Amino acid sequence: MVTRTVDLRSDTVTKPTEAMRAAMSAAEVDDDVLGTDPTAFRLESEVARMLGKEAGLFVPSGTMSNLISVLVHCDIRGSEVILGDNSHIHIFENGGISTIGGVHPRPVKNNVDGTMDIGLIEASIRDPRGELVYPTTRLICLENSHGNTGGRCLPVEYIDRVGELAKKHGLKLHIDGARIFNASVALGVPVNRLVQPADSVSVCLSKGLGAPVGSVIVGSKTFIAKARRLRKTLGGGMRQVGFICAAALVALQENLGKLEHDHINAKALAEGLNQIEGLRVNLAAVETNIIFFDILEGSKITAAELYKHLMEHGVLVMPEGPSRMRIVLHHQISSCDVQYTWSCFLQAFTGLQEENGN
Amino acid sequence: MVTRRVDLRSDTVTKPTEAMRAAMATAEVDDDVLGVDPTAFRLESEVAEIMGKEAGLFVLSGTMGNLVSVLVHCDTRGSEVILGDNSHIHIYENGGIATIGGVHPRPVKNNEDGTMDIDSIEAAIRDPRGELLYPTTRLICLENSHANSGGRCLSVEYTDRVGELAKKHGLKLHVDGARIFNASVALGVPVNRLVQAADSVSVCLSKGLGAPVGSVIVGSKSFIAKARILRKTLGGGTRQVGLICAAAFVALKENVEKLEGDHRKAKILAEGLNQIKGLKVDVAAVETNIINVDIVDSKFTAEQLHKHLEEHGVLVMSKGQFRSVFSIVNHPFRFARKWTKLEFVARTK
Repeated sequence: MVTRTVDLRSDTVTKPTEAMRAAMSAAEVDDDVLGTDPTAFRLESEVARMLGKEAGLFVPSGTMSNLISVLVHCDIRGSEVILGDNSHIHIFENGGISTIGGVHPRPVKNNVDGTMDIGLIEASIRDPRGELVYPTTRLICLENSHGNTGGRCLPVEYIDRVGELAKKHGLKLHIDGARIFNASVALGVPVNRLVQPADSVSVCLSKGLGAPVGSVIVGSKTFIAKARRLRKTLGGGMRQVGFICAAALVALQENLGKLEHDHINAKALAEGLNQIEGLRVNLAAVETNIIFFDILEGSKITAAELYKHLMEHGVLVMPEGPSRMRIVLHHQISSCDVQYTWSCFLQAFTGLQEENGN
Repeated sequence: MVTRRVDLRSDTVTKPTEAMRAAMATAEVDDDVLGVDPTAFRLESEVAEIMGKEAGLFVLSGTMGNLVSVLVHCDTRGSEVILGDNSHIHIYENGGIATIGGVHPRPVKNNEDGTMDIDSIEAAIRDPRGELLYPTTRLICLENSHANSGGRCLSVEYTDRVGELAKKHGLKLHVDGARIFNASVALGVPVNRLVQAADSVSVCLSKGLGAPVGSVIVGSKSFIAKARILRKTLGGGTRQVGLICAAAFVALKENVEKLEGDHRKAKILAEGLNQIKGLKVDVAAVETNIINVDIVDSKFTAEQLHKHLEEHGVLVMSKGQFRSVFSIVNHPFRFARKWTKLEFVARTK
């Protein structure tokens, strides 16, 4: 039986396209540590311009982009950062801001829509009069779209309010914008308007935009200058890095327009899955390209059996607990793949015979 | 006036060759964080095999290679590492092992040949009985070839002796082998024998070997497993990284044999420069591809020399007021250019 592979584990699995490989092959490069790699500079300038910030810095991963941003904003020992208790930085980055950066995290409850209550954020800001016993709050981090709640979008009004709160207390605001373009497309808000109050933003090019490697941090010129230095310290100072940036430039130019289609695919698949008895999807929560679904108790098959069945049919998903799984759509998943995926799920739950008759 | 450009600032300036670009364009890749990128795996296995170690890990830079290695060996708070006071880790890596890793450095004097006296190393090892006041020594770092002393090679006998010392005291040994292939070629010692005593080695592919990006750390399987996690923590977990590894592979296959040529050219250039009145080069110290040039004519400074050279398209690295560093790397330079350079320099006199 011929099986295709439909890799829905993450939008990081996208492979470089022909156009990207061609761009990489022909890229103009130079030593980005001794001087400036021209292609890296072009990419950094372009992303900064798109996000309405002064300057940009290419880094090899989203983890490094957040680590650098937090550490630059919190460069004084004894700093504290407020972030969501279900944020990527807090859950999936090895606690690096603390173990590597010495910054203390102050997690605040993430609501199911990815926000944190403004009142709770404000209550978490350390009172300077208690400085003898408190660390000093210097930074608030938001994540847009919010990964762990299912790719939920923080609206521009909410971000503006958090920005005002930060200003009121003399704090910086960093947005983990790994999937900021997904949020911008889903909300119908230009990306530079969406991140306007932010002092810094980290943007992934290797996720939905499909580049093989990399992220870009954007912020003020002084912020980026410090970030460049910290990037070197962490070991992210790469030499002829332009050819990776060339692929990223292609990603930006070609795949931004495809994000909407990923969202449409996600919505369609989510609706299809929700109709299957034994599965449940919170449809209202599917705003971008991520779907969380639950296998209900008492359903015909267990989560483990479902996972196995899917894998046997070439459909790869991400387990997220004993009865929960995650699907992420990206531009290398076609509508056809979505159809195939849905039929695999259906088959698992209804136990339909295989087409070649067994 | 048409000026050619001869960039001798460092061997990191090498641009990817056609073969590398072709390899990058066709590389087989996958998500190296969610799973294993096949090209990265091939490169890591190949370098580990060449170095005689169990496993390897591709990292984006020499700095990251050393940072990860030191931090993995010294993963317990309160650790100390012995290293040369003129080593790359101590001087040119932003003090990251301390500022990022919380590891305390114990620098020991580097001799002119890149070694540290064995006795001085032993004397620097903390006595465990003083642990109430002392950090705990866990690691010794060597650098081969040793950059700041001019690309000097540590002999295999010396490396073995330091290895024995480390073992005697229950310490690990890491070799910063950014230019280990240069050392191996210059000494005529197979690279796996040269680093036999080491628990871990960091090897640069982006220097003399000419790859655009990257280094590989090698060591035991358990060491590399921890290194992989720390690499992720530092932000070095890259996705379809095989693209970069493909170029590094080409570098490894094609350019190790060209290192000897770099050494020969360096020797000739060094001798030529030493003959110029006003310049001094310790020709015997030129063992690999790096030349330290001192200006002994006090009538002008390194800065003036650099400016003159730059006007003629020759780029070198400054090392203080009266010293310049010339790094020779093979491609794309041709031999004739070296002599032209000598003429330019002679004209300044």
